[in-house]
Amino acid sequence: MNAVEPSRRLASEEQAGSKALAEGISADELALVEEMEREVAALQAKPSRKLERGIGITLTVLSAAGLIGSRAITVRTETGGIDPRWWPTVICSVTLALSLMLVVVSLTKPPFEREGLEVTNHDGWRRLMWTIVLSVLYIVAWTVSENFVVPSVVLLVAMMWVNDGRGLKALVFYPIGTVMGVYLLFHTVLRIPL
Amino acid sequence: MSPIVEGLTALLDPTVIFGMALGIGLGMLVGTFPGITATMAVALASSFTLTLTPVQGLAVLLSIYTGANFGDRIPAILVNTPGTPAAIATTFDGYPLAKQGKAGLALVTSGFAAAIGILVSMVVFSVAAVPIASFALQFGPYEFFALVVLGLTVMISISSQSLLKGVIAGLFGLFLATVGRDPITADPRFTFGFDVLSDKLDFIAVVIGLFGIAEVLDQMLSHNKLRLKPVASLGRWWPKKQEYKTMRKPLIIGSVVGTIVGIVPAAGGDIAGLIGWDRAKALSKHPEEYGKGSFEGLVAADSASTSTLGGALTTTMALGIPGDSVMAVMLGSMLIWGLQPGPQLFADHPALVASIAGIMVVSTLVSLGLNLFRIRGLVKILDLPRNYLWASILILCVVGTYATTTDINTVVVMLCAGAVGVVMKRTGFPAGPVVLGLLLGHLAESNLRRALVIDGAAGFLTNPIAAILLAFAVLAFGGTLFGRIRAGRKEAARRDATLVV
Repeated sequence: MNAVEPSRRLASEEQAGSKALAEGISADELALVEEMEREVAALQAKPSRKLERGIGITLTVLSAAGLIGSRAITVRTETGGIDPRWWPTVICSVTLALSLMLVVVSLTKPPFEREGLEVTNHDGWRRLMWTIVLSVLYIVAWTVSENFVVPSVVLLVAMMWVNDGRGLKALVFYPIGTVMGVYLLFHTVLRIPL
Repeated sequence: MSPIVEGLTALLDPTVIFGMALGIGLGMLVGTFPGITATMAVALASSFTLTLTPVQGLAVLLSIYTGANFGDRIPAILVNTPGTPAAIATTFDGYPLAKQGKAGLALVTSGFAAAIGILVSMVVFSVAAVPIASFALQFGPYEFFALVVLGLTVMISISSQSLLKGVIAGLFGLFLATVGRDPITADPRFTFGFDVLSDKLDFIAVVIGLFGIAEVLDQMLSHNKLRLKPVASLGRWWPKKQEYKTMRKPLIIGSVVGTIVGIVPAAGGDIAGLIGWDRAKALSKHPEEYGKGSFEGLVAADSASTSTLGGALTTTMALGIPGDSVMAVMLGSMLIWGLQPGPQLFADHPALVASIAGIMVVSTLVSLGLNLFRIRGLVKILDLPRNYLWASILILCVVGTYATTTDINTVVVMLCAGAVGVVMKRTGFPAGPVVLGLLLGHLAESNLRRALVIDGAAGFLTNPIAAILLAFAVLAFGGTLFGRIRAGRKEAARRDATLVV
């Protein structure tokens, strides 16, 4: 009986499959969808022991710095006990202890799964670095020029260029249209001085 | 005029109607586009709405919340990618149904299940919010601190794969809340002489950075040429009579599970959807069909995830503790409008509470209508090039943040929060507990210090409500810890067995 069951199941699955295809989806489309699923699965970020160790050590250093900073808070009236230093000290002490635990866990246990995260790529790092540089330059330009419109249009043009946007639509119409829309909404309608 | 009539009449104001229409449209769009969450959209919109009246602003924010809960199901069904985390469980049966040529039927069924879920939960809000708020009026420093601990514990327990990282994220949020002036003595802490830091970190700027900029930077880092193509054959749209009948039981199970999960502080639609789907499967006559294209599974997941909305609203409005991450952002906006969500809100602004319930119901019905008739058009948004999306979100985050204070330094805080957010995202630290810690840090610190001065730590044991809340916090954390240890052992045993074979 056991030997018969798998073949029956296979047959019924085939019937179900042909019925599903008969209801509207084509075999080509189904194959395309399944190919896409495989590609998505291949892009999943992998767990990393080295990364977990780095996180633990960095957090230990940061929480120790936080603890030192908490004790260095200047208070106008020294009351001792539960003063303004107390709560940050408690938080940083507990974080320091947990960070040390994280280091121990990273050395003794398998690294955590990174579900929902995709692998990074070279182009991605390039895009990220450019975005950070452009954002800093934008803030400086806005502050120095005290003008919102021009630096914003330049920022959007540069962002589109860095992210492979080419042509009139990406480099002219979109940046000017977006900044005009934002300016109208915030400055004119909501009366926020830009 | 009774407060209920007054509150509902306020919805007839043309600006409120426009706000709701705008919110529903935005919500549906952001929900449909994978990568933009409802939290991010509400955080961005909260900067636009600060200059509006509370009813106008809430009309926009709550409608985005509702609209996103309809839009997020479309990519879940058509491309197996949830538009927001709340639609994760929708992919289990929605996508297999689409692959069987039943995408149209799945979209319509999902829309109805989502609408019924929200409406059922709004009944609970109408019935339970006032008694809970009246009860919470008795809360003092001990109870408030215990309530914050419970909220943080639950969010930590559910939002991270690693409990350790979740706790550290919550502590980081509490630490960020200490930046600025001490809540009791007003001594400056961690301000380093910067004016922008002396009046504590701007909540909206941090939220926009953690949810908006961090998401954009992460997408930039991992974007590849692969384009998701939706299933194009939508097939039949309307269910048959027999199909409606089979959906009743999972609809009830999903709605009950979702409402209960929604009431738990910080638990959102993603958790509820998974639990609702799992419970409906356990109680189904055809559990073997779940995950392979079961309408029962689809209905259970969708009704459970959306029925958290009313529960989350109840916890937020009655206790002042955010029911989920969207509510955490909304709570921040309400504080800026001078409204303190919590028991006093029901006594001081009963008409506003009626307006909130009215906005939720109306926006749900309108979203359902749009969901049924405009699905084909919404699918096209999946083809929007990412470079346009990233540039638009960046400029909106910058201007939106600037609008909250008209100080460029706030934008710097937002961009720094974005950089911290992307590091947290890539290293597995959840942003939810950070936001909750930042939002509730002052409440926790001031109440704990007052409580310790009044009666010492022993007061937590002699005060029954505080003791019960803390016991729930311990149970929630302990239960999660125990469950994960057990699951880890099972996984290790399974791996060993595989090696032996």
